[in-house]
Amino acid sequence: MEEHVKQLMADILNVDLDVIDGSTSKDNTASWDSLSHINLIVALEQEFQVSFDVSEIESMMSYSDIVGALERKLQN
Amino acid sequence: MSSSAADVAAIRASFVSSLQGGERFLAINFARRLLEIDSSLRQLTFISSQLEKAPHVKLALKPLRVALLSSFSIEFLRDPLMVYTFLSGIRLHLYFSGFGQFQQEIRNPASGLYGFSPDVVILAVEGSDWIPGAYHEYSEQLADGFDTVLSGFRDEFQNLMQAFRGNCKASLLVNNFVPPVWKKLGILDNQSTVGQAHLVYVLNESLADLCRQHPGFFTVDYAGLVNRQGALRWYDERMNLYARAPIRLEMLPELSREYVKFFRGFTGQTKKCLVLDLDNTLWGGVVGEDGLAGIQLGPVYPGSAYLAFQSAILDLHKRGVLLAVASKNNATDVDEVFARHDRMLLKREHFVSMELNWRPKSESLQKIANEINIGLEHMVFVDDNPAECEEVLRRFPMVTTITLPKQPEKFVPELLQDGLFDGLALSSEDRRRGELYKQREKAEALRNSSGSLEAFYHSLEMEVTLAPVKRASLARSAQLTQKTNQFNATTLRYAEADLADRMQHSDWLLTTVTVRDRFGDNGIVGLTAAYFASDALEIDTFLLSCRVIGRGIETAMLGYLYKRASQRGVRFLCGRIIPTPKNIPVRDLFERHGFERVSEAEDGATAWALQIQSNELAMPAWMKIQIDEEVPAES
Repeated sequence: MEEHVKQLMADILNVDLDVIDGSTSKDNTASWDSLSHINLIVALEQEFQVSFDVSEIESMMSYSDIVGALERKLQN
Repeated sequence: MSSSAADVAAIRASFVSSLQGGERFLAINFARRLLEIDSSLRQLTFISSQLEKAPHVKLALKPLRVALLSSFSIEFLRDPLMVYTFLSGIRLHLYFSGFGQFQQEIRNPASGLYGFSPDVVILAVEGSDWIPGAYHEYSEQLADGFDTVLSGFRDEFQNLMQAFRGNCKASLLVNNFVPPVWKKLGILDNQSTVGQAHLVYVLNESLADLCRQHPGFFTVDYAGLVNRQGALRWYDERMNLYARAPIRLEMLPELSREYVKFFRGFTGQTKKCLVLDLDNTLWGGVVGEDGLAGIQLGPVYPGSAYLAFQSAILDLHKRGVLLAVASKNNATDVDEVFARHDRMLLKREHFVSMELNWRPKSESLQKIANEINIGLEHMVFVDDNPAECEEVLRRFPMVTTITLPKQPEKFVPELLQDGLFDGLALSSEDRRRGELYKQREKAEALRNSSGSLEAFYHSLEMEVTLAPVKRASLARSAQLTQKTNQFNATTLRYAEADLADRMQHSDWLLTTVTVRDRFGDNGIVGLTAAYFASDALEIDTFLLSCRVIGRGIETAMLGYLYKRASQRGVRFLCGRIIPTPKNIPVRDLFERHGFERVSEAEDGATAWALQIQSNELAMPAWMKIQIDEEVPAES
């Protein structure tokens, strides 16, 4: 699942796959702005067939946040 | 058919390489295929980012400068709009106005909007943002009435149009307004003379009326689009509140497609000619096999669905679209339908050209294009057979092809959804165009198509299986002898019992032909029945379903029979052609494969023979041939 998320993030943020790692976050990635953040959320929803509410969207600001949120979502 | 990740990766790679190579139409078709598989945000982002890196000078797309003004975060429209515009051969240069500043941008002659020199300006403002009095401020406004709200809007918009036109010659597209999803008065809304539904209706009428009066102003039926898609599905309240993005991101491709209809009109890409297949397109069934009485066209489903399709096509004709036919049929069969079928809505005179032959459809399209003097890029080709569409696309990628879905009730939306024929003006010439076309004296010479035809065959990835007729395939085999008229050498009709008898016989060889290709499994589509007699293997029955004619499968069948003849040690492989009014396509079967004509009878029946040598007959290189043999009965 983590590989899958990395590949999706690489596509949406328009960066190379190896740029995405445990420390990748909105703060340290130039192409991760508020616009691409929404695109990222929606792309994740489409890919994993889940739906995030606003508080979740606001908390998914890094690669590890995203993986955590997805794991919680997919468990239910 | 679902596509694997490997398939998608392969198509993505082909897309990128054709894009980098400047092969415009090829890249467009690959992009189209990617979107057919998956039109998710991810796919759109991928295609859009590739477009940014593409060599635009080489690609030579038509440029179009489009500015978007909005009251919300319209920036999300960038990727889908770039991609769907690209599919129409257009390269967009986009400008997004500052957030919620559309009034200022239009009124200020020195604004970024005018500095951008747009060709087209789109005003995408939600009704709730422009006229809150009809939306969330409705209850407060109720006491004062709505006259000022309505006349105020009309004056304001007229003013805006004047300011715009004073500064710019571009075309302006304005979204009209969606009635509020939830009415403040509930079911009372429509009973009131000032209900919200009524107010929005009046606002939209003002908008449309003002746009109609001035050239270069167009209303985009945004309300109609949202209605079609469903307002509950269209809007995303969550994103509206979080990001000022009221439109669900998944719906943005639909909004893009609507705008692209206009862009096509502005860049002269409106399609002018609709070329149609006949069998399973204008009627259900195959006229050459089912006969006049057997095709489905009438008040009962599925005939009714085909009738609805004909009606939609007739409407296009009345709008000025040229109609033509490219179909693999005998002319006499088709004549009969047009002359004698009393349910046909479309008549012969509606068509400017009819190409009825057994050649590849791309050749027919070329002839039609020459005959009526229009470019291939203005043609739309419609067929139920994906292989035919593929053949056309390979040779003429600028033609738009539509492969019809299985259910005929889906034909009409499939034909109309992209507004391919939507022009921006309707003149009396448009309405008469069918009568006005010119005949060219000499057709252009056809390109040498043999090389590209083979490439097409290879692309089909055919797998042909030849197997002895068994219990399980007996019914289908008999059915084929009953139903197949066109590619049938002797048209001998057999019942199951007849075939069962021959199955037991050690001198008879009954073989079914199964074909799978890239588009799916066609099942058993051919049959041969041959018997060993003195010094020959005599072919009694040789037939193929019309759906798979013209791909060289008959060569594989003959090659197999040749091998069996050789194994048995006979000296000749023999066959007969019994001519019928329907079996024109099979007449040259043996001649094409090097058989010698041995005799001709009074009724026109011919006998053919091929001497068996130590070689094997060359099989077509483009198909995988599998032979299922049971232990041969002969010793």
